[in-house]
Amino acid sequence: MSENFVERARYLCSLGGAAATVTALPGGIPILHSASGCAGNFAWTQNGGSGLQVGGYCGGLTVPSSNIQETEVVFGGEDRLREEITSTLKVMQGGLYVVLTGCVPEVIGDDIFAVVNDFREEGVPIIGAVTGGFRGDSYWGYDLVLQALTKDYVAKGSAKVKGRVNLWGVVPYMDPFWRGNLEGARHLLELLGLEVNSFFTPADTLEGIRAAGSAELNIVLSDLYGQGAAALFREKHGTPFVTTSLPIGVSASEAFLRQVGAALELDPELVQRVIDREKRHYYQILEPLTDCYNDLDLQRYAVVVGDANYAVALTRFLADDLGWLPVLTVVTDRIHENGQPAIAARVEHLASGFSTNVVFESDASQVLGHLNQVWPRAAGQKYYNAFSPAFVLGSSLDRELALQIGAPHLSVSFPVANRAVLDRGYTGFRGGLRLAEDVFGQIVANR
Amino acid sequence: MSYFDNKVPPKREDRLNAVIAHQDSICGLARKGKGGKSCLIDDGERGFTQGTICLLLPALAMLNSLPDNVVLLHSALGCGSCTHSQNANVRMGSNARRGKAQDGIWLSTALDETDVISGGEDKLERAIIEADRRYRPASITIVAGCVPGIIGDDIDGVAQRLQPQVSAKLLPVHCEGFKTKIWATAYDAVYHTIGRNLLEEKGVTEHTPQDELEVLREQERLARTVNLMNVSSMGRVDEQELERLLVSLGLEVNVFPVFAHPDSFVKATRAALSISTCPTHDDYFLGYLEERFNVPSIIKHMPIGIENTSLWLRDVAARFGFEGQAERLIAAEEAELKEALEEFRPLFQGKKVFVSAGEFRALATARLLQEIGLEVVGIRSFHHDHFAEVEYEKLAREAKTDYVVDIANVQPFEEANLLNRLKPDLFLGHANGNMTASKLGIPTHVIYNTGLAYIGYRGVYELARRLHRQLLNPAYNRNLAENLRLPYSDAWYQAEPFSYLNTRGRSVNE
Repeated sequence: MSENFVERARYLCSLGGAAATVTALPGGIPILHSASGCAGNFAWTQNGGSGLQVGGYCGGLTVPSSNIQETEVVFGGEDRLREEITSTLKVMQGGLYVVLTGCVPEVIGDDIFAVVNDFREEGVPIIGAVTGGFRGDSYWGYDLVLQALTKDYVAKGSAKVKGRVNLWGVVPYMDPFWRGNLEGARHLLELLGLEVNSFFTPADTLEGIRAAGSAELNIVLSDLYGQGAAALFREKHGTPFVTTSLPIGVSASEAFLRQVGAALELDPELVQRVIDREKRHYYQILEPLTDCYNDLDLQRYAVVVGDANYAVALTRFLADDLGWLPVLTVVTDRIHENGQPAIAARVEHLASGFSTNVVFESDASQVLGHLNQVWPRAAGQKYYNAFSPAFVLGSSLDRELALQIGAPHLSVSFPVANRAVLDRGYTGFRGGLRLAEDVFGQIVANR
Repeated sequence: MSYFDNKVPPKREDRLNAVIAHQDSICGLARKGKGGKSCLIDDGERGFTQGTICLLLPALAMLNSLPDNVVLLHSALGCGSCTHSQNANVRMGSNARRGKAQDGIWLSTALDETDVISGGEDKLERAIIEADRRYRPASITIVAGCVPGIIGDDIDGVAQRLQPQVSAKLLPVHCEGFKTKIWATAYDAVYHTIGRNLLEEKGVTEHTPQDELEVLREQERLARTVNLMNVSSMGRVDEQELERLLVSLGLEVNVFPVFAHPDSFVKATRAALSISTCPTHDDYFLGYLEERFNVPSIIKHMPIGIENTSLWLRDVAARFGFEGQAERLIAAEEAELKEALEEFRPLFQGKKVFVSAGEFRALATARLLQEIGLEVVGIRSFHHDHFAEVEYEKLAREAKTDYVVDIANVQPFEEANLLNRLKPDLFLGHANGNMTASKLGIPTHVIYNTGLAYIGYRGVYELARRLHRQLLNPAYNRNLAENLRLPYSDAWYQAEPFSYLNTRGRSVNE
């Protein structure tokens, strides 16, 4: 990984992630306080990276934006923001307005809260978040929006309700499968009889989000995304949180249910009954693949390239559920050294006993180099234990690697330019079946 | 002194008095053009605005296409992430031109809070050196976004300092988004660095033919070689159509600059003529090629539509004395095309259409739509400058009744209001600009897509064929309209569409 640049960054800036997150909220209207091009940049990015999903109710080039220019850079942009909010309230119909800042107003020192609070005092459902692009990536932008909701939107002092949980950690549009993944995880929790507030699915409402303080537990499906907000939520609303990995497939779903069951002190027998039933169902469906799995020799070596959520979840799925050999796991987030061991630990002791090599690398062009380290190239010997048959499970940027090593490929992690994604998801037992379908489908595509 | 002697090109609001906020009508703009005054329209300001694009995006669309080039964004992390969609065009375009789908390489110095305080030049220097070593490119375009524009990083100084240490040609490009509201300034920003850095011969001179006959042949070839200025919104299929027409006049074609190799740019200085395909795109550079290298140019008409393609071709032929040949070609092409279009006319008859895109493209396409039998009822141009005056005249001449022209840098709220009033039968919009009309249930089609044909005679036929297909079954959009709503309040649809034009600054002072 270069110290000096990021190659083909697999994320937007924090404003980009924040805008996408607000668009994904029920009735959410982002108001950008930024230069004019930010919204267009996000629309273009989603067009190329989010499985053909651009915007939603109010996203893409529809978002209100103060479009500040040189005049504001010289004289300050707060008046312009006030004007933009006033007009937005007349033109746009929404349930929650969220002011988000870009680089320019932050560098010049605009105070958005001085403006936003005036409107709040008049009873307007509006909050603000400071999300300038130099603060971090789009995953952090998601976290910042959840923090803003935690601070200024979620009602304080709600009594906790038994069995009610919040579900975080899947980032809208950055995970092209966000809708399906949230619903898959939500479904798992509902099997345990829990009432789930997942913020971004069609089943969620602003009333539900306002009452999120009544949850007895926050469940964060990510070692990174939503962690800051979950800690803040604990502080502001007294709701503890558990961190799990993204539960893709049968092994991970089972572990997920047990972990949540333990955290909520649910009846272990109930948890076991749910797991037994779902596993029975899962294997019943998997059963008829067995002939072809064997006859076509569908076991593969694999390289997994993905964000912190996917890299570990996909590796685990391949090794523990499919019995594959994922020998290299590339985590593409730029994670501080202190944060790396926790992520690597997720795939250190897999149930299958197989162990992968984890590297932290954001640059697609460098992955082949890492593979060559892990699996030395042939040196002209007659008998060579080749890295074949292989599979690349990553993003559309990793097609090049797949071509170089002659392996089929499936795009799952951002950017996904070459698949259309609506509500497909890979979480849960059934999600594992979907992923198995997609992976094997790529292998037999020319059959 | 030439503009090209400065580090930064002028912005178009200064150089061309270009405007982005104005309400008018087709006849109004045509009249102003006739009096030679439309360039004197004062630009407005809206009191409500939606997000749009900045010059960085179209600049990157060009830069990402260059083979053997690395784009190095000097900005915060997110600037340039738009390349994720442009990369699809890079892959498709390289496949069409070189038989291999190849990803672009784009990098970001990802300026963070520390850099904002202490400056990003050191980081940029290290990034350039590492990029040169890692990728060994022919060129590195160093593209500045907003942040270096505010904190004062000098990308030109860095490039100059480092050039002796690296093998790639360093090309600084200024795309500080807050500095111009006319994003067509992007083309000037890119051409500015090309003009300053890529038009001189490199150290090694090319092989010079010694043989007298060879010298004569080369001179003769250059005397009929033309620069065909392509644009990033143009696919290979459109280039081929124009090449076909030019070659049939006996010309040799140098397609330039999108997807051209940086080392080959110098060829442009030796051509007999440069031909623009979009005056919005090329005027800054063609002026420089004339002034500095004596390469004359034609910058008039976009070859979209029957009349415009023929006019474009006639202008080129006249420069070489090929008028007779051109007339025969045009007559044959037009006759063949008009006959082929008959099949689609019945479905187009009486249908109303609204067009929305960059100014020249929108106007030339509107003219095409008139030609195939549709009635234009509204146009939204992303900006306005004097190059388009002649196009407004052409449209006004053929208009059944006067209709609205909205000069707006995207701003779909005005469009939603207008479409709700005008209720057109068809809408053609810019990429990422058809969503509003779609959700209103109007049949839509994208006004450019590099995989599809739009230009020349073939473009007329193919576009008509696609519109015919859209009109045959608009169920997708109709279903959306029945089941979704746009995020605008009911009050907004009742309000005048231009309620927010020229209100900027007022509400705060009220």
